[in-house]
Amino acid sequence: MKKKVRKYLTLLRVGILEEMQFRLGAVTKLFGNIIYLIIIYFLWKAIFAGAPTEVVNGMTFEDTMIYLVLASALFYTMEMYVTWDMGRRIKSGDIVVDLLRPMGYIKFQVLSLSGNTIVSAVTSLLPTMLIVYLITGGGFALSYNLLFFAAAIMIGTVLNYFINFFVGTICFYTESIWGINIMKEVIVLLLSGASIPLAFFPETLQKVVYYLPFQAIYNTPLKLLIDNSLSVQSRIGMLGGQLFWTVVVGCISYAFFRISVRRITVNGG
Amino acid sequence: MESIITLKNVSKEFKVLNRHEGIKGGFQDLFSRDYKIIKAVNDISMDIMPGEICGYLGPNGAGKSTTIKMMTGVLEPTSGEILVNGRIPYKNRTENAQNIGVVFGQRSQLWWALPLIESFKLLRDIYQIEEKDFKDMMELYESLVDIKELYSKPVRQMSLGQRTLSDILAAFLHNPGVVFLDEPTIGLDVSMKSKIRDLIKALNHEKKTTVILTTHDMGDVDALCKRIVIIDKGIMLYDNSIENLRSFFGAYRTLRLRFAKDASQLTKEALKKQAAELAGDLKNVYPQAKSIGVSAGEEWVDVLLNEDEIALMKVLNHIQETRRIYDVQLKEISTESVIKKIYDKEIE
Repeated sequence: MKKKVRKYLTLLRVGILEEMQFRLGAVTKLFGNIIYLIIIYFLWKAIFAGAPTEVVNGMTFEDTMIYLVLASALFYTMEMYVTWDMGRRIKSGDIVVDLLRPMGYIKFQVLSLSGNTIVSAVTSLLPTMLIVYLITGGGFALSYNLLFFAAAIMIGTVLNYFINFFVGTICFYTESIWGINIMKEVIVLLLSGASIPLAFFPETLQKVVYYLPFQAIYNTPLKLLIDNSLSVQSRIGMLGGQLFWTVVVGCISYAFFRISVRRITVNGG
Repeated sequence: MESIITLKNVSKEFKVLNRHEGIKGGFQDLFSRDYKIIKAVNDISMDIMPGEICGYLGPNGAGKSTTIKMMTGVLEPTSGEILVNGRIPYKNRTENAQNIGVVFGQRSQLWWALPLIESFKLLRDIYQIEEKDFKDMMELYESLVDIKELYSKPVRQMSLGQRTLSDILAAFLHNPGVVFLDEPTIGLDVSMKSKIRDLIKALNHEKKTTVILTTHDMGDVDALCKRIVIIDKGIMLYDNSIENLRSFFGAYRTLRLRFAKDASQLTKEALKKQAAELAGDLKNVYPQAKSIGVSAGEEWVDVLLNEDEIALMKVLNHIQETRRIYDVQLKEISTESVIKKIYDKEIE
């Protein structure tokens, strides 16, 4: 049992070590993020300037900015590039090395990638939260909502992984990943509320989105952090919903992978 | 003794789309259901005993890697039975992985961004190796190769030779019963090749590990394997010891000749021309010697002949009468030429 735990912890550790090897990568990420934030600042400023009231769809300009800045930090933390990686390794045939590890492929990947997420959480999400908090003078509460936020990030990361993993598995059939992955990214970013707060969606679309797993990735953690009006009960309910989607998508992805891996023809020599 | 790997009538088929040419053909292919079945491996059976080093040879596309992938559990055979360490590999891939080691010459299982020692420690944890066994193994490694200086080097900065060496060590780290080496010496220089051969030999000797080796380098085969299995187009051609193979060709000799004073000045083309002329000549004079072959080697023209068909001295005499010989060597047939003969289907 102790050994098993060490087996898992060691993979987390290696993910952390790996991520820290690429210092320059972290800097460029930060730089890219700043440019993105400048763009959305002016974009939303224009949107609010054109609106007749200060509050649009129940959100002020400040609310929107807090939401979007945190959403982008969260995106950089949780994004894993699983799909790209899987696609590349299926294409080159390197996937065979991953399949020969003495533990399941999914477990192995999820653990190694979570290490990266931990590093990003510390190096990018925490500083962003601090800055947002200082600038807005308490834009979100410092209370038990932080615990819910942390839990929701963990679940959301795994859910995000499973969605990516599902799309990556498609590569076993198509041997090309570009188009599918671009489509996935657009869908996830839009329907998860990472690029536009869900409150700005037309009502019908909002309803549809709440019955899809994507909003559980970014929208749920963010709401749990920002929205002070939520009761503890509804917060637990939201975490439950997240868990529900994680289990469902996880099972589907796992089954899909099991079927696919049986019919693979591993490329190259 | 119980065999550690058993293959019984194993076949593997792939379904491949019949592709059409050109853009129009490409559009047709999008909707085509016109598949053909390719038999990558066809009815192969063999038993490998514990502690053996078995060379698994065949030309490119013979089905070697497919067989290896079936033995490791990555691919499922279309028919037939495989047992490795008493397990069906594709049904228990992860458990099987715990007891085998694999090196693919062109792929690495090491963590590319991390120093080598981190990869080893990581493998220690995921294979759940006892601390003492790990230490002993590292000591053994340090006594065999200069690995210590590589410990702090990230894998991505390593030369191909260093990386292959590290990958082989990584494959033996958890002391598996079987190690599969798929073209481990591909792309390496001569000294690295011999280093790696010595290492494989030593590890096989020390740990009694069974090694399955695929390679195109006959030097590997001569240095390591007592037994070889040869397949081509998925069909098994030969399974026996190397000595047996050589004795089978006992009557074969290679006669190496130089027709110029300074052979290093000769271009490849000139050598080839000499060889072609000689081949035509010998064919005319000795029509009964069917297996006679002439090829251009490094600075030498090689004549391979079967003494059961024609006496070597006769041929040498004839050559000396017709042209000036500056230098001559007599050699046993090399493993390389034997295997080439088998690949070329010159023998039944």
